[in-house]
Amino acid sequence: MSTVGLFHFPTPLTRICPAPWGLRLWEKLTLLSPGIAVTPVQMAGKKDYPALLSLDENELEEQFVKGHGPGGQATNKTSNCVVLKHIPSGIVVKCHQTRSVDQNRKLARKILQEKVDVFYNGENSPVHKEKREAAKKK
Amino acid sequence: MELWGRMLWALLSGPGRRGSTRGWAFSSWQPQPPLAGLSSAIELVSHWTGVFEKRGIPEARESSEYIVAHVLGAKTFQSLRPALWTQPLTSQQLQCIRELSSRRLQRMPVQYILGEWDFQGLSLRMVPPVFIPRPETEELVEWVLEEVAQRSHAVGSPGSPLILEVGCGSGAISLSLLSQLPQSRVIAVDKREAAISLTHENAQRLRLQDRIWIIHLDMTSERSWTHLPWGPMDLIVSNPPYVFHQDMEQLAPEIRSYEDPAALDGGEEGMDIITHILALAPRLLKDSGSIFLEVDPRHPELVSSWLQSRPDLYLNLVAVRRDFCGSQVECACWHLNVHSPGMESKRRYVLPEVT
Repeated sequence: MSTVGLFHFPTPLTRICPAPWGLRLWEKLTLLSPGIAVTPVQMAGKKDYPALLSLDENELEEQFVKGHGPGGQATNKTSNCVVLKHIPSGIVVKCHQTRSVDQNRKLARKILQEKVDVFYNGENSPVHKEKREAAKKK
Repeated sequence: MELWGRMLWALLSGPGRRGSTRGWAFSSWQPQPPLAGLSSAIELVSHWTGVFEKRGIPEARESSEYIVAHVLGAKTFQSLRPALWTQPLTSQQLQCIRELSSRRLQRMPVQYILGEWDFQGLSLRMVPPVFIPRPETEELVEWVLEEVAQRSHAVGSPGSPLILEVGCGSGAISLSLLSQLPQSRVIAVDKREAAISLTHENAQRLRLQDRIWIIHLDMTSERSWTHLPWGPMDLIVSNPPYVFHQDMEQLAPEIRSYEDPAALDGGEEGMDIITHILALAPRLLKDSGSIFLEVDPRHPELVSSWLQSRPDLYLNLVAVRRDFCGSQVECACWHLNVHSPGMESKRRYVLPEVT
């Protein structure tokens, strides 16, 4: 029988245990299914600073405060707060600005990206430059 | 006032505390009966959290925060202007909070109490018993968007991709795809009239009604598929009912008492609607089209075996993703990408001999 169309189920997946601090499990899929790309952190929101230091997802730890127990259709959780940590610098951002988990995760990344840039670039960070220029205009 | 509330009060009224001095400078401030002394947002959250906890209401703090924030015009407590945290509320606001909170005491889901919720950045109306979109399903949408972006030939041409959503509920999946894929068109179907109305209402609120066809039909009925307005689909997307029937009675009161069981019950192994959707493929899916589903964690293996028993469908389970979850939490669901190979592959595919 032709092997075209036979399903390749990545059985090792079912034995992966969750890592501490909620490292994203689907990233392990990238090793097994090359078709899935790890997307770079995208900038959400209105302001786009030129050339901020980009965040590497592998250096982030996300604790998704969803409460305990199963989820999906079987539960209705409304605790959509996202806690995101940048491991190398130790900076932690907590975001509960919206009722959408997805949006909170994007916003948390944007805020964290700005904070991390300031952490490493200090006064030279575009974040500070923009603020200084805004203050001058007043 | 309870001791905890008194301590909070002292903390807030201390020197240099932004907001509290401004609050007390109101010349029009009156003593508030009967919740005397409990008149600011922070105090109300604390008060109702305590009430909910005493009555065993889950997510006591989150529920009271959402209710108070909503009455003050914000989506979350954190997004409320800090000045509003300590300002006294009007008696109408207090009454409104009291009414909404009494519904929470009846275990009504927060989303139905507020009458709205957010999904992928869209604000959607919520009306019982139409199924409330779950946060995990936002990841399903993200995955679909990634796939579409990778198939550059499908993006950019008008009317593309053409998407079918089975079981649209409030319209969450359809509308978030439409809003992020400006050229796409969607056919959204549901067997409940209430879901059709709500999807329609949400589509209009978001001004997406021109690119969505919302059709009331029961997809398990054979005759349903003869009258679709458009041709074969690029994508079929669904968060179908996938709860195992025996698990239905263990669902929380919020779900059992308020949400449509037909949106949840997937039959004995939770597979009934899933298999129906997969069986639609030859009729409705283009070559190289994909079906994206949210399913129970037990389903990937079941779907895999089922597909092997149905080689006539020419479908491959090409990828699975666990929903993102925190470290202590069991994964809630899985997302599947079931792909239909192109015509060439279909012709080469040899059906097993029946012995």
